[in-house]
Amino acid sequence: MSKTSFIIIEKSYLIRKGMASLIEKIPNTSLIHQFDNEDDIKSLDHLEADFIILNPDLLSTNVLKAIKKIKNNTQLVSISDAAISISKDIDWAGSIFIEDSQNTILNKLNTLIGNRGSTKIKSELPEEISKREADILKNIALGFSNKEIADKLFISAHTVVTHRKNITRKLGIKTVPGLTIYAILNKIIDINDTE
Amino acid sequence: MLITKNIKMADVIHTNYFTLSVLNRFGIELGFADKSVSEVCNQYQVDVAFFLEIVNTFVDKDYFPKKHLQTFSVKLITDYLQKTHHYYHQVKVPEIESLIEQMVNSCYTQKETLVLLKKFFTDYKLELINHTHREEQIVFPYTLALEQVYSSEKPDSSLLKVLETYSIDIFQNEHDNIEEKLFDLKNIIIKYLPQPKDSKLCNKLLYELFNLEQDISDHSRIEEKVLVPKVREMEKEINKRFFKN
Repeated sequence: MSKTSFIIIEKSYLIRKGMASLIEKIPNTSLIHQFDNEDDIKSLDHLEADFIILNPDLLSTNVLKAIKKIKNNTQLVSISDAAISISKDIDWAGSIFIEDSQNTILNKLNTLIGNRGSTKIKSELPEEISKREADILKNIALGFSNKEIADKLFISAHTVVTHRKNITRKLGIKTVPGLTIYAILNKIIDINDTE
Repeated sequence: MLITKNIKMADVIHTNYFTLSVLNRFGIELGFADKSVSEVCNQYQVDVAFFLEIVNTFVDKDYFPKKHLQTFSVKLITDYLQKTHHYYHQVKVPEIESLIEQMVNSCYTQKETLVLLKKFFTDYKLELINHTHREEQIVFPYTLALEQVYSSEKPDSSLLKVLETYSIDIFQNEHDNIEEKLFDLKNIIIKYLPQPKDSKLCNKLLYELFNLEQDISDHSRIEEKVLVPKVREMEKEINKRFFKN
């Protein structure tokens, strides 16, 4: 379920749209936000993304500050005219040039995603829920609250929440009634156990 | 594609056939030959600017209504939203219920699981009813009172009282994600439900669920992009005018 996420920072509408449509072509990606001017970039620190694709011309001190505030596992990719060399004090994970062909850009993006997500991709393999998660799921389906489940299984409520997130991510089911049906279909609980 | 008043109404539907349900809510019937959007709207006494806002918000997720915000009344918006609610309760939900019912009846081996599905949807229906009911009982009356105050020189003090009880910010905060359960239901059918013999019924049901989910999300977008900004503007203005001290 977790997708590789992108933010685009670029003045030109055409380039933004073009970049966005290329990102859309790659499976399991999402474009979180597009910025076209400095003022909006101030709100950047609320966002989390795997990659920021950025026109280096927009690297004013303010933007630099905003970018540095973002968690350090966000990688920066430049998008620029091939002629411009980029030498500011930033670590670029890659660079895309306006004149690159569609395939070149897609290859670059795929490589970037591949390099970055070796651990991530592993966890995207078809997943079954673990024995522990099945225990938690059973209790959710039986209608117990996080706190009650924590007390029953001698773990912290925080751990229960983490398990729940993982269950939802693996199964693609978010709500309690949905999880209950899953539990019954997979004989984790009996239909007569509910209500 | 940005839909404008000079485009042929027929092309609006060709662009995105989901707009059919929008036309339906405006009471516009098919058979408009080559008439333009504005001609058809005039014929049915539909406010053209309003129609365009709705249809564009519906067609383009990134569409941001700005210019026309002040040209039509809150009453128009809430009337439209109410018609959408009506459409869910009178048309979409019964359609889905009947499909599930047919599945239950045509199946002998795994009735139990289908009954579960049915119960899930019945619960969802209640949630949807509560959700729309709350909007109609609290949110819409509030916005209408607000509009009345907004347009009068000396508003009734009882109306001003109403305004103190609610604000559009509350609505935005509590506007919960009513599509979540539909998403789950779809996923259960796609990924986990042992497939019933009659896969046609099942596909039809999925199609209807996708459809309803899409419609509800478009509907929420209209609330958030058309209704909320307009009401917020009016709130600001009224605060300046009447509650300054």
